[in-house]
Amino acid sequence: MNQNVLIELSHVEKKFENEVIVKDLSLKIYENEFVTLLGPSGCGKTTTLRMIGGFEKPDQGQIIINGQIFNDLPPYARPINTVFQKYALFPHLNVFDNVAFGLKNKNRKYLLKFFNIDLSLSNKDQSLLIQKGIEKAVEESLALVKLTGLENRRITQMSGGQQQRVALARALINKPQILLLDEPLAALDLKLRQNMQYELKEMQRKLGITFIFVTHDQEEAMTMSDRIVVMKDGLIQQLDTPKQIYNEPVNRYVANFIGESNLIDGLYKKDKLVSFLGVDFECGPYPFKAGTPVDVVIRPEDFDVVTLEKAKLTGIVTSAIFKGVHNELDVLVGDYKLMVNTYETYNVGDTIGLSIDPYEIHLMPVTSYEETV
Amino acid sequence: MKKPFRLLSTPYIVWLVVLALIPIFVMLLLSVSITEGLDFSNYEFNSSFYQAFFERSIMTAFLNSIYYAVITTIVSLLLGYMVAYTVFRSKFKNKFLVLAVFILPMWSNLLLRTESLGNLMNENNLITNILSNLLNTTITFPVIKGSGLAVIIGLVLTYLPFMILPIYTALEKIDYSLEEAALDLGLTDFQKFVKVVLPLSLKGVATGSILVFLPAMSGFAIPEILGNGNILLIGNIIEQAFRYMDYNLGSLLSIMILLIIFLGIFVVSKVDKEGETLL
Repeated sequence: MNQNVLIELSHVEKKFENEVIVKDLSLKIYENEFVTLLGPSGCGKTTTLRMIGGFEKPDQGQIIINGQIFNDLPPYARPINTVFQKYALFPHLNVFDNVAFGLKNKNRKYLLKFFNIDLSLSNKDQSLLIQKGIEKAVEESLALVKLTGLENRRITQMSGGQQQRVALARALINKPQILLLDEPLAALDLKLRQNMQYELKEMQRKLGITFIFVTHDQEEAMTMSDRIVVMKDGLIQQLDTPKQIYNEPVNRYVANFIGESNLIDGLYKKDKLVSFLGVDFECGPYPFKAGTPVDVVIRPEDFDVVTLEKAKLTGIVTSAIFKGVHNELDVLVGDYKLMVNTYETYNVGDTIGLSIDPYEIHLMPVTSYEETV
Repeated sequence: MKKPFRLLSTPYIVWLVVLALIPIFVMLLLSVSITEGLDFSNYEFNSSFYQAFFERSIMTAFLNSIYYAVITTIVSLLLGYMVAYTVFRSKFKNKFLVLAVFILPMWSNLLLRTESLGNLMNENNLITNILSNLLNTTITFPVIKGSGLAVIIGLVLTYLPFMILPIYTALEKIDYSLEEAALDLGLTDFQKFVKVVLPLSLKGVATGSILVFLPAMSGFAIPEILGNGNILLIGNIIEQAFRYMDYNLGSLLSIMILLIIFLGIFVVSKVDKEGETLL
């Protein structure tokens, strides 16, 4: 991946009527990257996106794009286009005119450069080439979103999924450096959403445009992103690759928000040894002092169900749900109810043994976040 | 309609039949007949009733009506759009209250309002009296009353609210994200207005224009009072016809106006299928 910084947010803060929405947010986004802002509603992710897009001005801090401070530039002067949550297609125009909207309203000088037109040609020829260029660009971007042939459709005659694609084409035709997507898939049904996730990722790779995607759906974020920014209450909780965030959440909040996880109070007894549920476990090295209380994260699929003799933990199955690929068990170990995923079938009331590989145990410093998501 | 409630509209239906439907049929009959007032004893079918339209005075009145109605509509459209747009863009909490203030004149009696407006258009009027007394000099206003300008001012003042409301409603219905999308796609604020806001408010413009055009064309009180009898619209001809017992001509012209109004309503219903801009 290209490592040139494209956008930098530096100590950005935004208030609405004395309520702080985004607090001291600093973030670097690189060229050709798919970054997702992930968090529950009200966490400031959409506000952050709108500040990048120019629809809101930060109260403090700077938004730097291509090395220039962009704080006060209006949206139309930014190399950015947005796909809005409810698509915001123009109902009085057909598909062609919607997609061509951005280019048609640019000035001539811009278009001559955009289409690489020879300036020595006569005005009439230039106009003709611009006209042709726009038509071709619309055709191409409709092909990109697989809507070829629907140029003359009215927006009101299209399904949600199709409107979504028109909105994408309308933004991409302008060849922005950055595409902002504000929960664009939220209104689509599951199957369509999953297809669009792959298509979006594919498009991003092909076009080499930086995508900044906002969602509250952690699965969506996992599928598409190069990096995920987990946000809560206007603060970045963790910024990392999906894999790192899943395997090594920095705190309880992230662990709970990303996927299912078991959170257990533990004690870091000494180097590579942690104790929880009354048992000592080997674990990886962590920079904690001996005797520090820690939060232990174990993903449900990381438990191994073993015979009682080999087990480090034993528990009673209190609930067993068939989930298709696996069975989801609730296992009562001492006072803790652990969620365990296994391919084998067990019945409620069975006593089973559990073991965990050292590298599956993830430790975090104790944080005060109480909520579960 | 649900059965238990179907009788609730009966009083109004009776009212409508007695005072609107039956009169219309009587008028239809009268308009193609020759009678003496409502006396049908010497009834005769008028086979050349349509020739009334080619009479010079009536043609002039018709053209006058259309001329004044068109001008009133255009002026109201410009003023109304500006008011509606200003309120739409403003940050008032209760915008409908603000609009209510704008349409306040509508709540006073039409005749009183027109008469007092007429007073102000005279050389000596209430205000010049007060000012003259206060300043001890003679102050006079230019005389407008009796001119076309006076009639247009009166018509605009009266029918402007009918323009403001539908345009405002249409503007208010425009999703703000569409404006953001336009800015996002590189349009300046002015381009955004021309390419997005204006086209999406045209429904309100069409509805408002018809709501202003129809009464401006068919009314008779305002041109009568402010025009000092110099300006005859079709409404004045109808009024005179009925006053001088020429029920046949009056009915004929009324039916004509009625047809134009129906046409107008038909156009509104075509433009504005959901009736959304009519509040």
